Amino acid sequence: MSESHKELDLLRQKFVGQRVGPYYAWNKVSRTQVWQWCAAMGETNPNYLQKSDAVAPPTMLQSWTFRDVHGNYAPDSTDKNTYEVLGELDSLGYVGSVAVSYDQSYHRYLKEGDHVHSFSTIKDISDLKSTGLGEGCFVTEFAEYFDHDDQLCGDATITYLKYKPQQSSKTNRSETAPLKKVGRISPVENHDSKHFWQGLRDGKLLIQECSECQTKRHPPQPMCETCQSLEWQTIESNCFGTIYSYTAIHYPEIPPFDYPNVIVLVDLDEGVRIAAQLEGTQPEKIEIGDRVQAHIKEVQDGLALPIFKVTAK
Amino acid sequence: MKLSQASIGQDLPQLDIDITARLIVSGAIASQDFEDVHHDKAAANAKGTPDIFMNILTTNGLVGRYLSDWAGPDSIIKRIKLKLGVPNFPGDTMVLTGTVTAIENQTVEISFKGKNGLGNHVVGTAFIEPKVELND
Amino acid sequence: MTNMKDKIAIVGIGATEFSKNSGRSEMQLACEAAHSAVKDSGLQGADIDGMATFSMDNNWEIEVHRQIGGQELRFFSRTEFGGGGAIGPFAHAVSAIQSGQCNNVIVYRGMNERSGLRFGSGEIMSMNALNPDMIHFSHYFPTGFMTPASWIAMCARRYMHQYGATSEDFGRITVSLRDFASTNPNAFFYQKPLTLEEHQSSKMIADPLRLFDCCQESDGAVAFVITSLERAKDLPQTPVEIASVRQCALPSSRQVTPFYHQDIAQFPEFDAMADDLYGVAGVQAEDIDFACLYDHFSPSILPQLEAFKFCARGEAKDLVASGHISRGGKMPVNTNGGQIGEAYIHGLNGILEVVRQMRGESPNQIDNTEHALVTAGAGVPTGAAILRKH
Repeated sequence: MSESHKELDLLRQKFVGQRVGPYYAWNKVSRTQVWQWCAAMGETNPNYLQKSDAVAPPTMLQSWTFRDVHGNYAPDSTDKNTYEVLGELDSLGYVGSVAVSYDQSYHRYLKEGDHVHSFSTIKDISDLKSTGLGEGCFVTEFAEYFDHDDQLCGDATITYLKYKPQQSSKTNRSETAPLKKVGRISPVENHDSKHFWQGLRDGKLLIQECSECQTKRHPPQPMCETCQSLEWQTIESNCFGTIYSYTAIHYPEIPPFDYPNVIVLVDLDEGVRIAAQLEGTQPEKIEIGDRVQAHIKEVQDGLALPIFKVTAK
Repeated sequence: MKLSQASIGQDLPQLDIDITARLIVSGAIASQDFEDVHHDKAAANAKGTPDIFMNILTTNGLVGRYLSDWAGPDSIIKRIKLKLGVPNFPGDTMVLTGTVTAIENQTVEISFKGKNGLGNHVVGTAFIEPKVELND
Repeated sequence: MTNMKDKIAIVGIGATEFSKNSGRSEMQLACEAAHSAVKDSGLQGADIDGMATFSMDNNWEIEVHRQIGGQELRFFSRTEFGGGGAIGPFAHAVSAIQSGQCNNVIVYRGMNERSGLRFGSGEIMSMNALNPDMIHFSHYFPTGFMTPASWIAMCARRYMHQYGATSEDFGRITVSLRDFASTNPNAFFYQKPLTLEEHQSSKMIADPLRLFDCCQESDGAVAFVITSLERAKDLPQTPVEIASVRQCALPSSRQVTPFYHQDIAQFPEFDAMADDLYGVAGVQAEDIDFACLYDHFSPSILPQLEAFKFCARGEAKDLVASGHISRGGKMPVNTNGGQIGEAYIHGLNGILEVVRQMRGESPNQIDNTEHALVTAGAGVPTGAAILRKH
């Protein structure tokens, strides 16, 4: 067994399964705190904001028993620190910390005057995993929230990833680099294809046609494969065609696309085949042979694409 | 919207949320989360991120708002399960979408997603019931 | 295609373990596999005077050659088009030896395709505008049409439409491959067979392809030593003759976006090669005892069975359902578990299995191993070969 596996095993023995608490809320559930939350979130639910007997948004659950701004727990709380395990992982080099999942059940909504306390149990410390952020392990905490009558009002399972930050080109973003949205990959526009992309920017789907033998072709290429002529012109497609095949892509989800992302191979009425996106029809309703029409849409600055819609079955 | 009229496959209206430093900071403070990466850009930079980013409880609160805006103020959120993906940084927009994926007895199951310019920030499932008796 | 002049054979094989994280460089993997292939063949590093690999391989032939003790390199070549390059290097080795350019060629491929750049991630290789990949993929990437699964899904969808095949038909192929993998200790899915129900409930990747229709992403390396059959007589291993081999691209072929064939339910490059390969090797479909068919995605097996005349067009799903290609079947396919069950080393691990079978060293040893058909990538300009036990 490797050194790091041993270290994690020791942490497991020390922390997993130990229920610690109580941690008390600094204050009773108050309209002031609820109002501050609603103001921040843009929440307008009147039940949260009424002048008396307001209830608290259930999603506030975890915040009630948090430490104060200085890191202190409220009086009468246990002096054990739930997050000691995270500190120990820090000292092993897993200094990165990110919450990765959250599963909360709300047994009853809290209301003004409720005084909450919580208990916390480390449920699991995973084996080492390779993740996109770096090597690390997942720590799963289970928290229970009780009111002043010791009635359970909610619970939450929270999983954190503790990782060794890696310095790879994939994840290392320079501090000063501006945050860049991930856009669609722009096509290469070269001598052979620029007309096609410019045509789309001008709102036209252009098909290459050989000037000598009139054979049409797509995607663009400089020489006619039928007569070897280098002379060509374009004709504008009427954008009608028939679905030859299709796929609905579910995974991986690549920004900036919406999923499922439906791609169709369309036999255009002019006689060439083109791959493009289709919108407006659920994947399970699409059939080979459906008639489609494209409209040209500017999908991002400087990039226009034909987007198809089904017009007839 | 009456929750009892929900049908499987129904889409929730999309909600666009501008991610500002103000939203991130006010959400962190309102949720009592004083971790520096949620309000201090220099500290966030030192930990390798380009800016401050939204804490999980604010994401949770925004999801709660999205759900109850659609289901109505008296509906009861029973459970929210979510997974976080890429961070919400200032200057981005998070687009929340959702679909009714199941209805069992009176419980409506909703799959939701919050997507920003970097990809999916949050993906999850929520369970909502119509009001029976609000408290107790 | 004329007859083979001098006979050429595979006389050495080498491989690393297959994994999800090799923990070492692609160069080290390639050197380890090449070195063990040389040792297996009974030759010395200094005997190796030819190197052939894929254009996608990141390990320069001169680097690998030097490290395994090579002296003068008289022949080196690369083959384009991803997994379509799995047979080209063997064809080149045969030609180079037959024409007297060199004597002993290593065919190799070493990659960290899981722990490094994953082909299925949609991450692109290069943004260089002069790169032929980028010029080509410009007609697909801007729409989010960026993964091999989504491209081959188009063909699978069309196959379903034309021949009434279903996702369950694809699933039966995966189940057969996972059955072989479950008894192959080299396989990622060793001792992990799959049921059709599990296949059917696996998540959709690119409709109609589900997770378990897709090959794995793997780290590892495979290498072969190729020489004349004459020379092989003095070497320790049972030679595996390359009885016929060729590559194929058609005017309608494209780099892994095979959308412009008249009929994309087929991979017509295989149909174009079948008669040549059988003719030169002097065999018929019924003489083929087992096969290594390129399985980046399970449905791709079906048109290959038809192209090589194991059944009529559209009937491959019935052949699969009858157990013909499975354990105990008449013509087992991918007895190592294939790239779906064992590992994805760009097709070469399947050819390794063919050699093991002919040597009697397979963990899933079958009885009749006189002739095997092997294919390279489907949906790309590709190649195929018939191997014969000596």
